[in-house]
Amino acid sequence: MIHDSIIRDRLVTGDKTASDVTRDIARPILNNPSTAWKVGFTLSLIFLGIFGVSLLYTLFTGIGVWNINKSVMWGWDITNFVFWVGIGHAGTLISAVLLLFRQKWRMSINRSAEAMTIFAVICAAMFPVFHMGRVWVGYWALPLPNAFGSLWVNFNSPLLWDVFAISTYFSVSLLFWYIGLIPDIATIRDKVKSKLGKTMYGFFSMGWTGSTRTWARYELISLILAGLSTPLVLSVHTIVSTDFATSVIPGWHTTIFPPYFVAGAIFSGFGMVATLLVVARKVMNYENYITIGHLDAMTKIIMVTGTIVGIAYITEFFIAWYSGNIYEQYAFTNRMFGPYWWAYWSMMTCNLIAPQVFWFRWARTTPWFIFIMSIVVNVGMWFERFVIIVTSLHRDYLPSSWVMYSGSLTEIGLFLGTFGIFFTCFFLFAKFLPVINMAEVKSILRNRE
Amino acid sequence: MGILDKKLSLRDRNKMLIGVWEDEDQLMAGASEIAHAGVHIHDIYTPYPVHGLDRIIGARRSKLARIAFFCAVTGLTLMTTMIWYMYVHDWPMNIGNKPVRFTPSWAPVMFEGTVLCTAFGMSFFFFWRNRLVHGIKNEILDIRQTDDRMVMAIETTDGMDEKAVLNMMKNHGAVELREFHNGVQTVL
Repeated sequence: MIHDSIIRDRLVTGDKTASDVTRDIARPILNNPSTAWKVGFTLSLIFLGIFGVSLLYTLFTGIGVWNINKSVMWGWDITNFVFWVGIGHAGTLISAVLLLFRQKWRMSINRSAEAMTIFAVICAAMFPVFHMGRVWVGYWALPLPNAFGSLWVNFNSPLLWDVFAISTYFSVSLLFWYIGLIPDIATIRDKVKSKLGKTMYGFFSMGWTGSTRTWARYELISLILAGLSTPLVLSVHTIVSTDFATSVIPGWHTTIFPPYFVAGAIFSGFGMVATLLVVARKVMNYENYITIGHLDAMTKIIMVTGTIVGIAYITEFFIAWYSGNIYEQYAFTNRMFGPYWWAYWSMMTCNLIAPQVFWFRWARTTPWFIFIMSIVVNVGMWFERFVIIVTSLHRDYLPSSWVMYSGSLTEIGLFLGTFGIFFTCFFLFAKFLPVINMAEVKSILRNRE
Repeated sequence: MGILDKKLSLRDRNKMLIGVWEDEDQLMAGASEIAHAGVHIHDIYTPYPVHGLDRIIGARRSKLARIAFFCAVTGLTLMTTMIWYMYVHDWPMNIGNKPVRFTPSWAPVMFEGTVLCTAFGMSFFFFWRNRLVHGIKNEILDIRQTDDRMVMAIETTDGMDEKAVLNMMKNHGAVELREFHNGVQTVL
């Protein structure tokens, strides 16, 4: 039997009706862009320009303009790749895993988190693609016949698994996002006044009418796609972790990597979702849709996953000692007390210690504080990847191969530039598509049980 | 029977009786009573999914899960065959003296291919079945059916007591009653 819940807090506050939801959420699309949007978009374009310049310099000069060398052959590039892929994971987690668990609070945040997934994967893909150096023969990574120039690909290599994993993840996420968008695009189609708008939204709404038959199938396909995306998201970061774990380099050759990477990905992803949504709910006046309850739930996930990641750091340190392998032991001692100690302890502080503040209700319900903490989480997770990659590589078995590594100006430019790609995409998304899933939010207005 | 669900189209239909609701509870009660009275409800258009309406209008359970399974098996077979052909049959390569025959290292690519094939195969079927095509003409009965109104459409048949049906709609809170015939709507 359906009845109104008297125990649970309302997921949408402010006594909104279905037409209020349409009006509030479609407002940025139907009206001219706000000053905040224009300023944000211009800043993003500047960073996008930095990316363009850095990329062109890399392409025309060669990847020698990066500071990577024969010992540290992966530097900022793969750090940034893993960082961005990790960020993307929260979108799938919110839309797929929370759907399977029937967590209705996800409905206000799944759209923007899924968009974030897609934009983050685009940013991530830039790094391994351009690290190839001769990017114009990048298609050799695909399973093409020998006549195309390369031999068949090596199916034993985790780098090839990555090609399949990332491209599948990107295309399935895009499909999931688009199917979720169709009913809302139809709503905009029926609201928008301009002829161009009507044509564009009409084209992408694919003739959606809201028929009961279609809704029933739509809910089923969402459920099956969620069921598919859940193992997919786990597989993607597992495969990313095997890029390291299947090699025999001390510090990388550990079986704990897959679950630890997945937990870290969810942790950093929720950090980025919190960064975006704390700002978006304020600037776009969505406080009744993305409530303090949502922030509370997200920060709890950040705390739990941060703790899992912290336990993984301690476990791998313990196992290095327990293994009796002097190279493993050295790799981990070097991480903590070697020349990159500052990176290791930044990682520990940001990822394990800082999120513990979310045990306190005040910390979980104060937006400005959550915003600061979300930045801390993102900084910490970038350092985690930097620590794993650089500290494991910079002191090889032979002391003659010992080097120090720091990113060059071009590498820094590329990294900052990906924020340009990410935010340019996000601002365009916020202007032209509904940031909150209107159809799903309308279905939870009454807090039905 | 083609894949496309012809019930979704409003073209070439008899006169239709249209009722517009603002409240989903009243709509559910109305739809339930009308269906129990033996009147076939053509469709109900809602701005968000209202659970239970599909059973009231007699929509059959979707075969999408079976299609998904079929696509998954196809994807798995395709990927396994592809790897075997490239890696074992056509041009075996000795890389680090690792075996080229079937090994667990094939699993990631097989899995990703299966997921890709299932997701796209199933979605293609979903679009086709539901008449969701880029650029297709919209057949909406009320401009607010994607906003906050719920629209019930009943196709008239010979011998149908139209007045009784319209009364049932009105008694259950329909805020507007209309007729739809040959692409023209008349407010009743």
